[in-house]
Amino acid sequence: MDNAKQITRVLFESFEPQAIHLFYAIGYLAIAIFIYGVFVQIRKYRRGKADGSWNELFGRFVDMLKTMATHRTLVRRDKSAGRAHGLIFLGFVLLFIGTSTITLEYDILEPLFGIKFWYGNFYLIFSLVLDVAGLSLIVGLLYMMYRRQWLNLPKLDYKRVDRQPGDPDFDRSQYRREDWAFLWSFILIGITGFILEASRLVWLSEQATVWDYRFWSPVGALLAEIMHGLGLTDQSAGVLRPYLWWFHGLLSLTFIACIPYSKIKHIFTAASSLMFKDPLAGRRLPMVPDEQKTAGYKTITDLTWKNLLHLDACTKCGRCQEACPANAVGAPLSPRDVILSLREFANHALSSKELPKEAELDIHGKGIGQVFMETLWSCRTCLACVEICPVAVEHVPIIVQMRRNLVEAGEMEPLLEKTLQTIHKTGNSFGESKRKRAAWTKELPFEVKDARTEPVDILWFVGDYASFDPRNQKVTKSFARLMQHAGVDFGLLFEAELNAGNDVRRVGEEGLYELLASSNIGTLQACDFASIVTTDPHSFNTIRNEYPDFGGQFEIEHYTTLVKRLIETGQIKLKKKLDCRVTFHDPCHLGRYNKGFDAPREVLKLLGCELVEMGRNRDNSFCCGAGGGRIWIPDPVGLEKPSANRMKEAGQIEGLQVFVVSCPKDLTMFEDALKTSGYEGRFVVRELIELIDECVEYEVWEDSAVTA
Amino acid sequence: MKILVAVKQVAALDEDFEIRADEKDVDEDFLLYDLNEWDDFSLEEAMKIKEASASEVEVVVVSVGPDRVDESLRKCLAKGADRAIRIWDDSIEGSDAIAIGRILAAVAQKEAPDMLFAGVQSSDQAYAATGISTAAYLNWPHAAVVANLQYQPGNQSALIRRELEGGLLQEVEINCPAVLTIQLGINKPRYASLRGIKQAAAKAIEQMSLSEIGLSAADVGATHSMSRVRRMYIPSKGRAQMIEGTIAEQAAKLIQIMNEFKGV
Ligand code: SF4
Ligand code: SF4
Repeated sequence: MDNAKQITRVLFESFEPQAIHLFYAIGYLAIAIFIYGVFVQIRKYRRGKADGSWNELFGRFVDMLKTMATHRTLVRRDKSAGRAHGLIFLGFVLLFIGTSTITLEYDILEPLFGIKFWYGNFYLIFSLVLDVAGLSLIVGLLYMMYRRQWLNLPKLDYKRVDRQPGDPDFDRSQYRREDWAFLWSFILIGITGFILEASRLVWLSEQATVWDYRFWSPVGALLAEIMHGLGLTDQSAGVLRPYLWWFHGLLSLTFIACIPYSKIKHIFTAASSLMFKDPLAGRRLPMVPDEQKTAGYKTITDLTWKNLLHLDACTKCGRCQEACPANAVGAPLSPRDVILSLREFANHALSSKELPKEAELDIHGKGIGQVFMETLWSCRTCLACVEICPVAVEHVPIIVQMRRNLVEAGEMEPLLEKTLQTIHKTGNSFGESKRKRAAWTKELPFEVKDARTEPVDILWFVGDYASFDPRNQKVTKSFARLMQHAGVDFGLLFEAELNAGNDVRRVGEEGLYELLASSNIGTLQACDFASIVTTDPHSFNTIRNEYPDFGGQFEIEHYTTLVKRLIETGQIKLKKKLDCRVTFHDPCHLGRYNKGFDAPREVLKLLGCELVEMGRNRDNSFCCGAGGGRIWIPDPVGLEKPSANRMKEAGQIEGLQVFVVSCPKDLTMFEDALKTSGYEGRFVVRELIELIDECVEYEVWEDSAVTA
Repeated sequence: MKILVAVKQVAALDEDFEIRADEKDVDEDFLLYDLNEWDDFSLEEAMKIKEASASEVEVVVVSVGPDRVDESLRKCLAKGADRAIRIWDDSIEGSDAIAIGRILAAVAQKEAPDMLFAGVQSSDQAYAATGISTAAYLNWPHAAVVANLQYQPGNQSALIRRELEGGLLQEVEINCPAVLTIQLGINKPRYASLRGIKQAAAKAIEQMSLSEIGLSAADVGATHSMSRVRRMYIPSKGRAQMIEGTIAEQAAKLIQIMNEFKGV
């Protein structure tokens, strides 16, 4: 082997000292521009309100690294894009580490301590790794270019659903230009890097320490062979090289300088966004401090720094928009556009030295960067957007905070306003007398315990729909019978139960929510019970995730897990198997909100049903349209309802007999949708409890079986 | 400039109510209280004038009633009223609409507003007389069932449109100060958010006794009213019945009933 020290790359080989100084000067300038950009960004975030997400920073950091290393969130529902991004990411990280290693030796260790390590075997392996990295980067970028140019993905169309053609911010072509500028400059850096490498090989092809080891940089070597083949001599390569070198160098420095000013900043913002991710985002909405004068977000400075950071993390990938049920039926809402509008607004209003006047900070309205009231009211708080976002943008808390402000200003549908007043007055959304809440128990052949007066093992929080809606009352009675049959010691709160407040809170009426929650918590705390069960996923979510913030710590489960246990322990004896083809609709508040995907499916299996999944299932389940208070807002005529859209999806299942739900609101929504969407007669909508009920109803059969 | 808005907390019947032992009213246990619907509109009308005016306008709500009425007054404060006054004395119990008018007029004399608004009527008693009797005691001009109001603070008169029977409207110019009873639908009342109501709890509700407004127990109450409730009751049910069966059966049954009715 040649002298190992000679197997390396001489930096700035045959450069005049002035040229080197010039390069350093430009380099420092690029770094200065970069640092200033970072400063402006941080100043912007600091103009937001405080947020308490600094706890467990180390754990969060490790989680973020894991997410980034595995690209777990990026490959979901878009494998090719995720993998291509993985290639770019890998290439970028390796090239970054490579460049830093060279800097470490050349600018720090060697001048200060005379230490050199970048030669010999280390150098050769280094070259190989970086060649692979460069290749990976280019391949990834090529796929992304192909994807943007030829796949015509609707989610990459930036045209807005809430604006009209002709509006200044309708098609947002500047985003498209930025995307392409990014792809081209990045790929050019990669390509010129390789050509530069190859031209150096040709130039120094007489030196054995260079040429004999060329295959340690295989891509460069291959290009060098081609250049040779095309007749490039070592002299002409020597002439070409400085041009290439400067082009590559300046492009790279420009790229670095541009990071904080362009979409490239997602390298940092997406990583931090992932790090500050709130696992309960949307499931547990932020409280409004008592001393705060107005509720919710009115101006851009009402957002917390964490919200502002999330806005900057969005990479416009469109996954949230693709998952959004409101968007799917043509409502003027795209979660991505809400985020982008606010981001544009924040960049415009919060980036200069002085803050604009209060009036210019209002994020509600019809102007550029402002969010329409119709947009905010279209949201069903189904959490599909939050759940799929690869960079942990939390849309729902922002949307609800903005709605809180609309509620305070009274800017809402008259019907919704009426309902809120009704709930305030009667404690339920049906406007029924409190005394009638447990009226359904009168039709049962047994007494139901009053948990307020005697201890019970399980307290059943019934919820409004299950208590008052006639169709749901049937299910409620079945469930009572089922619990009685299983020998469960249970009781109710009777007229002391109020609407749990989940949807009231998601509407944005925080004051009313506080009233409902604290009243229920007080009532529950005065009772003696071991745990709570409910058939209503909405009540389940708020009691489980939000009541603790108000001092109510309770053990609660959705009936599906309880029933599954009761069947498995034999307390519920199934006398009959159902031989039918069913599909299951995951309610948002049970599935996506609380990860209750498995219990209902296992119960279906225990019942002997053949479960055929719809295309959108589990975490990608499609909202019935009732969430976020939308059940109290009439859907606009002419637009398809999300529930009808869902029926169509179910209708594609060959031989489907039962569309199974496990949520009272779902039962109401889908039974309606079944009638209006023309599938009536083809299959039926049933609550899971009703199917179980069918299998246990034969008490007499047991007797006759024994005698037989 | 000041607008006085007279409001009332009304009672609505809960499911399965019972009549009080003295048979003069429904048992309070079965009543749900809320601000009278008409008053939402009259307060909103005052708020609109306040918000559109360049000069200072004070909106003061006043109500006659016991402690529980504070809840409704707080709702008015949450909607933006500047002050709230509540008059109560046990001797007021049993006053008719005219006697309440006497009390409100006394408050108006003390407060000296430029305008006095009231609802056309209350949804529980529906006399539609309180506002008008207040005007009579004050000897002010009045207009009932106002469906549209054009008024600039400081003006000597206001232009109003009144709703008459048969879809007719009457345009009236009225001298100020005046008492107007406001009709539903004149505007869109704002929503009082619960946080707003909670925050309004910090604002004081001024309690006034009869003597503070220059009246005494001899001016109010059932004994000093010109009308008194004798009895409240549920009339015995009419003979409604569902006719069931096939169309033919139903028709036959109907004929039979008609014949019975005619005494055939
Ligand atoms: S919560 Fe659901 S409806 Fe609302 S923006 Fe997100 S995906 Fe759309
Ligand atoms: S918010 Fe998240 S999911 Fe939506 S476009 Fe931005 S990065 Fe993609």
